[in-house]
Order: sequence, then structure tokens, then C-alpha cells
Amino acid sequence: MVDADAFIEEATAEISDEVGDANAVIALSGGVDSSVAAALAYRALGDRLTPVYVDTGLMRKGETDAIRETFSFMDSLRVVEAQDRFLDALSGVTDPEEKRNVIGEGFIREFEREAKEADADYLVQGTIYPDRIESEGNIKSHHNVGGLPDVVDFEGIVEPVRDLYKDEVREVARALDLEEVVSERMPFPGPGLAVRVVGEVTREKVEVARAACHVVEEETEEHDPWQAFAAVLGKATGVKGDNRVHGWVVSVRSVESRDGMTARAQELPWKTLQRIQSRITGENENVARVVYDVTHKPPATIEYE
Amino acid sequence: MSEPRIVVIDNHGQFTHLEGRALRDAGVDTEILDNDTPPGDIDADGLVLSGGPSMDRIGRTEEYLDLDVPVLGICLGLQAIAELLGGTVESGDYGGYADVDVTITDDDDPLVGSLAPGTRTWASHADEVKAVPDGFHVTADSDVCGVEAMSDPDRDLYGVQWHPEVSHTERGQEVFENFVEICR
Repeated sequence: MVDADAFIEEATAEISDEVGDANAVIALSGGVDSSVAAALAYRALGDRLTPVYVDTGLMRKGETDAIRETFSFMDSLRVVEAQDRFLDALSGVTDPEEKRNVIGEGFIREFEREAKEADADYLVQGTIYPDRIESEGNIKSHHNVGGLPDVVDFEGIVEPVRDLYKDEVREVARALDLEEVVSERMPFPGPGLAVRVVGEVTREKVEVARAACHVVEEETEEHDPWQAFAAVLGKATGVKGDNRVHGWVVSVRSVESRDGMTARAQELPWKTLQRIQSRITGENENVARVVYDVTHKPPATIEYE
Repeated sequence: MSEPRIVVIDNHGQFTHLEGRALRDAGVDTEILDNDTPPGDIDADGLVLSGGPSMDRIGRTEEYLDLDVPVLGICLGLQAIAELLGGTVESGDYGGYADVDVTITDDDDPLVGSLAPGTRTWASHADEVKAVPDGFHVTADSDVCGVEAMSDPDRDLYGVQWHPEVSHTERGQEVFENFVEICR
């Protein structure tokens, strides 16, 4: 396990060394990894770091407000409202990798503009060790690994947490007083709710995924999962108030893990599962059915796409 | 006694870096090397052969078996040892994924004997060893796989089908510690 205090000193020194007197930007996602990378870089660079948060419309409920609050100590924080641009670009796209590409490209466009405006020479990224492994192994692409440097001519890329595992990043977050990021925010994928909507991303499906994820996070909290969320799979038949409904099937997933490399589907109490089911079908008239995913990783992955 | 240096050979496995982490946590000097590293460039008191996607991508593993240091093969690493030394590897009837309860069949085995009578492991494989090579014997089995572990203590060659490096394997760290002992 990493020695958090020593790591913070080393990482801060490394960032100062690499960036020197220049400016840097970082993309904040709201997750632990980029939050820690941003806090380290801010420690090294102060307001010469411009943290950019892009609201893609694929964020969790309340996420954008939480970001503004958590990082209010950074005067240079920029929040970009890009919801419509992302959702329009995703229209008609069904292939999982293509979805990731569309989001990655959209993200690059938003970020390119902000980086130029901030006159940034360096890019800071919250890439962690498993991101690099999964990208190298072609299991799936992580949009924080590639893309942007091809478009913007940065002098260098700084990845201060590149050798850490998720549990180690969390240790560092605690030592940086980012307790709320660690305790309130579970891992959240780069492409956001788009990978929790199987197939085409529509505004309707994203709304269902967002509402259902919120219910699952609330209802599973006391069972302390490593990650818990809901995904919209497809449509099936239901009956609500004597009317036939052809509505969404929502899959609930709650897993235990140390580092995300392997995961165990959590043995949630029936009562908890039923409350989740009742709230999701009750609060969303277009949901016909809720299922619980009992598959471990392997053979499944944690997220759906 | 000085700590041994144990090198992990990367067969493009998803968990290779966790093997490095487990060895680091066991307090030994470790490094992860690509599986096309020339054998002459490897300075090690022991080798871990990682898992990976395919027997077609095991690189120079055959040459590493001649380095005369203890070897621990994990998943594909175990299957590579079996195939290269004259055993048989075939597709299993039933893939082993996630939880597998393993029974230790040799309590005196230096690698897995300490786990007797059995242990809960985490696995991810479709193929399995059907016949162990000459000099080896089976040291663990399970309901889904007849060769969960095999050993040739005379040549200090060992293998496990499960993944001792992942956190969901109970007592996985103990396997690495046993292997460190073997390398001392």
C-alpha cells in the first residue's frame, strides 16, 4: 500500500518539476482519480492549473453541483454546459466502442477550446494503473488515455497517479482532505451514463438511468458496496394499473471489490432489492421491470459496456 | 538472509500487475518483464509466469524454463508449463469463472500444501490441463477442473490454475509467500 503523505510530496514535486512556470489544464470528471490528480496539481501550480469540468448530460444526479462545491477552493475552475451537444452527437449510435468514440471526440472538442483559452502547455490526467492495463489489453478504451494530445500540441502530459490502484488513490484522497469525494462518490466511468444505457443513448433512457442510479446508490449505502448502479437494458412487457406497459428493463448491480480488477456481486437482502424495485418502477412510469445482476467479474465486467 | 529477486513474465494477462503488487507486498524485489525478453537478460532467483489470453502469445516462455530457477505458472502460465514439458491442455467441459472451491490433494506440497484441506479461489479460464507432464503430480483439484495445481518439486516448477494475485482469492498472498520461501 502506498504511503499517502510521502506520495503527495513526491507527486507535487514531480508536477512542479515537469510543468515549471507554464500553465496546465486538467479534465475533472467528479471521480476520485481526476479529483486527486487535480488536487495534487493545484497544490503544485495554484491557479496556473485550470480544472475543466464538462457536463455532458451523462452525469449522475447532482454531480455538477457537487463539483462546484467540492472544488470551490479553486478559483480557476471552469464548468462547461455541453449537454445538448453530447446527446445530439450520440443520436443513432449503438455500438459500444463507437459510443465511446463519439463521447471521446466531443470531449476533446470541448477541452481543446478550453485548453487554448487557458493558454495551457501541459495536460494533467488522472489515469490510474488499471486504466492503462485495460487499454493495453484492448478490453475497452478509456477516453482519458488517448485522443486529446493528438489535437492539442501540449508540451507534456503529467499523470501523477499513473502507478496507483483505486484503493491507493482513495488513501491519497483522504490524506488530501477530499473525504467527501471518497465517501460520497463511487467509481464512475469516463463516458458516464452512456455505458449504463445498452444500445442507443436517448434522452429518455439517460433520464431513467440517472434516476435509477440515484435510487440504487441511496438504497445500497448501508451495505457499503464498492460500486452500485443501475443500467437500462432494453424493453419488456409489464402491467401497471390494469394497463399493459412496454417499458424499460432496468438492471441493478452492486459489487464488492478491492481494486476493480475482480468483483463479487453483493448478496443484498431481499428487502433492499424489493425497495429498489419498488422505487424505480414507482418513480419512473416508463420502467416495466427491474432485475438484479448476480454475475461476478469475471466472467462479467462491472459496467455494461 | 537476503530477500530473493522474483521477476514476473507478462503473458499479456489482465492481472499481471497484481502479481507484481503481491510480490511487492511480500517484501521482495520484483519487476515485470515482457515475454520476449532475452533469457540472458533476466536476473532473478525465481520467475512468475503470468496468465494471458492465448497459448500463441507466450513468447519465449519455453526458454525461461531452462533458467534453472524456481518457476510459478499462473493460469495460462501453468498451462504453458504443462504443454511445453509434454502434458496436455484442452478446453474444459465447464469454464472456471469467479468462485472455485479448490481441494488440496498434497498437504506436503511446498507451494499449496499449507492451504490444506482446501481454499476458496477466484478463477478465469476456459482451457485446463488434462494430463500433467512427467515428473509432475497434481496438488489440487476442484469440481470444475481436475488440475487446479501441479508441482515438480525436484525441478522447482509449480503452477496454479486460479489467480492467487486477485483480492477475491482467499489466502492468495500465502501462495506468493510460499513461493518466496521456495526461491530463498
